[in-house]
Amino acid sequence: MEIKNIKLSQLPAFFDQLIKSGKVVIAPVMKKSGKVFFERVQSYSQVATDYIQTGFSAKSVVFPKVEVLFSFNKTDDGIDIKDSITDIPETIVWGLRPCDGSAFNYMTEFFLKENPDVYYAARKAKTTLIAISCAKADDACFCTSVGLTPGSTEGSDLLLTTMGEDVYVEVITEKGKAAIDLSASLFSVNEERSKEKYLAKIDTKFSLTEIKERIKTAYDSAEWKNESMGCFGCGACAFSCPTCTCFDIQDEGTQNKGQRLRCWDACGFGQFTKHASGHNPKTNQTQRRRQRLMHKFQYSVENLGIVSCVGCGRCIRVCPAHLNIFENILSVTQ
Amino acid sequence: MTPLQNKVAELFENGTISLMIGYKNAINKLAVPCFIDHATQVEQLIYTPECKGNLSVYLHKAEIKQAKKIGILANIATLRSLVQLTSENQLSDIEKTVITINAQNEVLVFDNMEKVEEYVQANFPEYTEEDKKLLEQLNSMTRAERWQYWSEQFAACVKCYACRAVCPMCYCSSCTVECNQPQWIKVSSETTGNLEWHTMRAMHLAGRCINCGECGRICPVGIPVHLLTAQMNLDIEKEFGSKTGFSCNSGYALNTFKPEDKEQFIK
Repeated sequence: MEIKNIKLSQLPAFFDQLIKSGKVVIAPVMKKSGKVFFERVQSYSQVATDYIQTGFSAKSVVFPKVEVLFSFNKTDDGIDIKDSITDIPETIVWGLRPCDGSAFNYMTEFFLKENPDVYYAARKAKTTLIAISCAKADDACFCTSVGLTPGSTEGSDLLLTTMGEDVYVEVITEKGKAAIDLSASLFSVNEERSKEKYLAKIDTKFSLTEIKERIKTAYDSAEWKNESMGCFGCGACAFSCPTCTCFDIQDEGTQNKGQRLRCWDACGFGQFTKHASGHNPKTNQTQRRRQRLMHKFQYSVENLGIVSCVGCGRCIRVCPAHLNIFENILSVTQ
Repeated sequence: MTPLQNKVAELFENGTISLMIGYKNAINKLAVPCFIDHATQVEQLIYTPECKGNLSVYLHKAEIKQAKKIGILANIATLRSLVQLTSENQLSDIEKTVITINAQNEVLVFDNMEKVEEYVQANFPEYTEEDKKLLEQLNSMTRAERWQYWSEQFAACVKCYACRAVCPMCYCSSCTVECNQPQWIKVSSETTGNLEWHTMRAMHLAGRCINCGECGRICPVGIPVHLLTAQMNLDIEKEFGSKTGFSCNSGYALNTFKPEDKEQFIK
């Protein structure tokens, strides 16, 4: 991996070049509510720099909350079908955390491993991920329990770690290289060194090896009920999660004009498993919460070989009852 | 043990309650809901200014109702919800014991709703200063500006329905948004459809919302959605003279007929 250096004071200049490249640049922005969200920005002055984690992840860049798959229009000459895949712009995501970068690896496995999803593939191919290491964390962060660190490079194209007046730049992929080549003069050669002292300290909550083994027999644990008692059945955890990929296909419009949409869905919703017959195999929130957690730590391991939780802590922060995923997992695998 | 913990332990021991819904400390200095079913667990119970969640919403949950004898730790918003829910005949099948802590830090136990009602009326909360300010700002806007304001807010809505999930007054077993024949509200999240959803919710809660502010407080994208129903309440109070969560027998302003009503159309 190529290592570069850029002066901290030069970051805005680098950012300007990214904007000038004409690509869509998405970065964390502090909203009036005090929460930080990814948004399209036009200048570095809009970018939030002091935040632990964004409210929602950057997954919407490759998996939008509502994605038009195609639209149709019936005319006298027949039916005009427009595939939206041609409208996908080149996009740069700035300032995502290393945990979120690794989440893109999971999404790529999910969407492309079997039956490759052309919409995801097209968006991912046009997306460059510029991650920034975490210098601070809160009590909801637990990346170190799921095999990551506040300085992990997995899934990102470029990782920036601030070291005093300098920024240590890890060029992870060709896309990352292309991004720094936009302002090559700002970057100097650097040697590989330890990032450790510049990274947030995050305690390990559990041993992932142990959890992966123990969860195989956790399905019938009586603790699921206690751990799910506070769950209200909303979709906040799933929608804020960087690896939740469930969706609902909706057709909107009339018989003459309309569109097919892919919308985010959430396993916490009562309707999520409801059959057309009216039967619903998951009748309560305990079963739904179990599904969500078992998927993260067991089913995705069985299906794709990856634990699909990156320890970003969003679900804990965003949950109206602050249900704590790592405490829940520990409790049901005791 | 704190006086609260002692009192709850006593209620477990004398068989008054079999499940207690309260608050406990959690990471990031949060106070989160906790559910305890034995006197030995009372030491996790807390009551601090951080205990903002409205726990009455759990009384609609099947898993909770199984407990039969439920104790609930209630802040003033939760107490108001209990009063409003009683007036809407939603709590008649639940044997409940309501516990609160007053301004003098005394633990009060109410074994019937008349006592809760009396306490609520004597301690009826005002709108918060922040909400008053926000409502004032919204009311001073032109209609076009207000439309713009809410359009921008609701463009960010992801339809996670957390606002509905935490609302003690949203207790319908099946919600309009889940009906797809006909589909009243789109499943997809986009500004107009999101506005439709929030308008519909506000209309269903007009004069029923008890101003706990939970929907706005917990919105993952920070939409102050509670202001819609807060304004509705002010309008209903002005037009009909009724306050929400004030009386267990008040009836609902928008579906109650009184012979002395000034309108003639119904006579």
